[in-house]
Amino acid sequence: MERVIRTAARKGVDFADLRITDSTNTSIMVQDGRADKISAGEALGAGLRVLVDGAWGFAPTNNIAERQLLQALDDAIAMARTAAPSVTDPGMVAQIEPVEASVRTEYKIDPRQVPLKERVAAIFALEEAARQQAGDKLANVVASYGDAVTTMYLANTYGTYLQVEVVRCGVNVFVTATDNGELQWASKRRAKLGGYELISSLDPEQFAGEPARKAVALLSARPAPAGTFEVIIDPIICGLLVHEAFGHNCEADAVWAGESILEGKIGQQVAHESVTIIDDPTLPGLNGSFVYDHEGVQARQHRLVHEGTLESYLHSLETAARFGVRPQGSARAQGYSFPPIVRMSNTFVAPGDCSFQEMLSDTKKGLYLTGGNWGYVFTARGQFTCNVEEAYAIENGKLGQHYRNVSISGLTLETLRSVTAVGNDLRFELGGTCGKDGQSMPVDAGGPHLRIRNVVVGGRG
Amino acid sequence: MKAGAEWAEALCGTSRQIGVIVEKTSIRECEVVRDYTVRVRAFINGGVGFATTRRLGEEAARRCAENAVELARATHPDPDFVALPSPAAAQAQIEGLFDDKLAGLAAAEVVRWCSQGIEEARAVAPDVALSGGGDLVVSEMALASSTGVAVQRRGTHVQLGYFAVVQRGDDVGSYFDQDVARRLLDFEPQGLGTKATTEALRFLGARKVATARLPLVLGPFAGMGVIASAIAAANAESVQRGRSCMVGREGTQIASEVVTVTEDPFIPAGLASTAYDGEGVPKRRLTLLDRGVLTTYLHNSYTANKAGVENTAHAAWGGGITTSNLVPTLGDKTEAELIAELDEGIYINAAGLTPDPVTGDISATIDFGFKIEKGELAYPITTTMVGSDIFELLGKIDAISSDYRSEPGQIMPTVRVRDIQVVGGG
Repeated sequence: MERVIRTAARKGVDFADLRITDSTNTSIMVQDGRADKISAGEALGAGLRVLVDGAWGFAPTNNIAERQLLQALDDAIAMARTAAPSVTDPGMVAQIEPVEASVRTEYKIDPRQVPLKERVAAIFALEEAARQQAGDKLANVVASYGDAVTTMYLANTYGTYLQVEVVRCGVNVFVTATDNGELQWASKRRAKLGGYELISSLDPEQFAGEPARKAVALLSARPAPAGTFEVIIDPIICGLLVHEAFGHNCEADAVWAGESILEGKIGQQVAHESVTIIDDPTLPGLNGSFVYDHEGVQARQHRLVHEGTLESYLHSLETAARFGVRPQGSARAQGYSFPPIVRMSNTFVAPGDCSFQEMLSDTKKGLYLTGGNWGYVFTARGQFTCNVEEAYAIENGKLGQHYRNVSISGLTLETLRSVTAVGNDLRFELGGTCGKDGQSMPVDAGGPHLRIRNVVVGGRG
Repeated sequence: MKAGAEWAEALCGTSRQIGVIVEKTSIRECEVVRDYTVRVRAFINGGVGFATTRRLGEEAARRCAENAVELARATHPDPDFVALPSPAAAQAQIEGLFDDKLAGLAAAEVVRWCSQGIEEARAVAPDVALSGGGDLVVSEMALASSTGVAVQRRGTHVQLGYFAVVQRGDDVGSYFDQDVARRLLDFEPQGLGTKATTEALRFLGARKVATARLPLVLGPFAGMGVIASAIAAANAESVQRGRSCMVGREGTQIASEVVTVTEDPFIPAGLASTAYDGEGVPKRRLTLLDRGVLTTYLHNSYTANKAGVENTAHAAWGGGITTSNLVPTLGDKTEAELIAELDEGIYINAAGLTPDPVTGDISATIDFGFKIEKGELAYPITTTMVGSDIFELLGKIDAISSDYRSEPGQIMPTVRVRDIQVVGGG
């Protein structure tokens, strides 16, 4: 790696970095009482990125022989030189101190050391527990598991040489229940940075029983109402909301590109004063945690919003240079074949001082929304959509009618300014992946219960 | 097979992609990505082990095959597995899937297209923020199985697309446009920057609407998206597992009688054209929706054998179940005429109308749309949702337009739907 980077410097690039990643993964899917499909994959490759005359060139390869890496370097330089004459907004990178370090994820049990049959048996137990709980309403259970071990080697023209080993495990139980031709489903997932202890510490009845009971209960729930409501959202939807509706707008590449509603709003009130929003990759063991980002910058906590006022964006080396700030370690890449881009890590609303019961008692009429699996946002307009797994009517401070899966929509700033209560019960249960620019990246998100006025609920009447 | 598999299948793919990224109305990056993948499926007592490697070399490929067998040994027997497909000849040779001219283009040409798009966008709105870019892909795949299947395909693909944002104070308008093709002669990069920016300007001044039941006019992306998602939900794997809203719907009316959709895998230069499915089974033309009736589930060899029916050849290359080109039967009125007939309604350019595949429910934000008043698009809308389900939406389709947006192999007409719950923030 050193020779390739030295050659890049000799060839006159303004900046170059080389990431080699070596990864293995295993996944297990159990359904209909059988270990249905077991998969494994491995990949080894290098991503070479250069900045030449204001243009970026990128040339990944899955041949890491030195001769091929030097060829990839020439390709990347040629790509950048092809683009350079047409660049009107030249790229740049912030200067950083070089890092020489070797770090690895802290874990108790290496998933690769757990016999495959043992891993299959553990997932089989989850499927079985869900089947038992769903009883005669069962249509299907899919219990799935995945582990991945990736070692990244990073070198750049600043003199950084970094080796990072990352171990991840995750599990998901998806239950479909049926009654009189009606189908409903619920799921529960857990994904974290860490070893197989994530799985071995699970109580199958508790973990897999929850989605099974929920799917069955949803069979007798009604379709959600349509309209604008005061809502209380649980920590899962709070995580979805803060990640999708707000967090993507804080990514400085979107801000620079003119595609964020937060452009030019540092120091301005963007949410109710009770709202503080943090992105923190240093929280131990969460799915979006890391020690160094994929440009070799050490991770640190980012306070994005403090008591309603926008304080900062999330930065890569490039956006830090553009905005004249210190790089803060928010650039990550899906693998060697993708360049690093600005990504969130573990994004959350800081807890307030209101208990859920106080929040509920104080709500005359509205909806309580719980669980959710996906969301998306158009950052330029700040229009977001979040999925909701189930809902309950709130009447005079009490939970009433049970409603089915629905989505909510809103405008980010309008919604965050309409927060009327912040709970004291911070939770992270959204460990999963986030998609951006064709790249999928492990993240987590969470928060406490929130109460918000005037949320559009896309129900059926 | 030497490692102990009873059945086995290997898929090998290589690709080269040239990409150019546009950000903030400037070229940002140019990249060339070469990739190589080997995937092996091995079966023992019906259980399947699936191994993938992106390491180069024969040794890595051999280890991949051995891993697949080892994984298959850890599965439980599956009595529903019968056999992998036997070799059979394709029903047609498809022209235009690989274009030497496209394959021979240099990165500079993609940069030139993008520069042209930037100039076009700036000519419409000097302050536009344009992002997107272009990709030029050359790929080759080969599939072989222990039954003697040995097929290959190679293709070229070009795509150019932009997302334009214009801002007037706090008011923001945005929209996108794109062009895709397999051949240079079908590709039209000119004008995309103009179209994306012109459309973005139309979305300035968006308003909220009141909650009401209204007719919807689904533009080409939204209309064909809904119909394609309903067909995708007829995936036989999901149906047989009991987790699809299409359980029990084969042979029944799932859409109104104006909806007929044929799958044609043989359209020359079609984006989704293919002579074989992903298990090497010859593709054929099929009417999937016949005057609203779902004629068949989408099968691969496993699901067809399990159901005891003929394989419909819908195995995707690389895993899963998918369709090729979907061709809807057109109506006799233009989009403009369908809109002109409405006193009030909602026009949807794009929305997440894909139903929940299990329940069929639709609860979606209209990402880009207009209020229709007195037969015309009156103003763009914001924070507006649709609450329905796939069967209500398909069943209430009362017209499909005679005009359409087209990409090679793709026909996307406008679709009109009666009386659907619209939820507004106004």
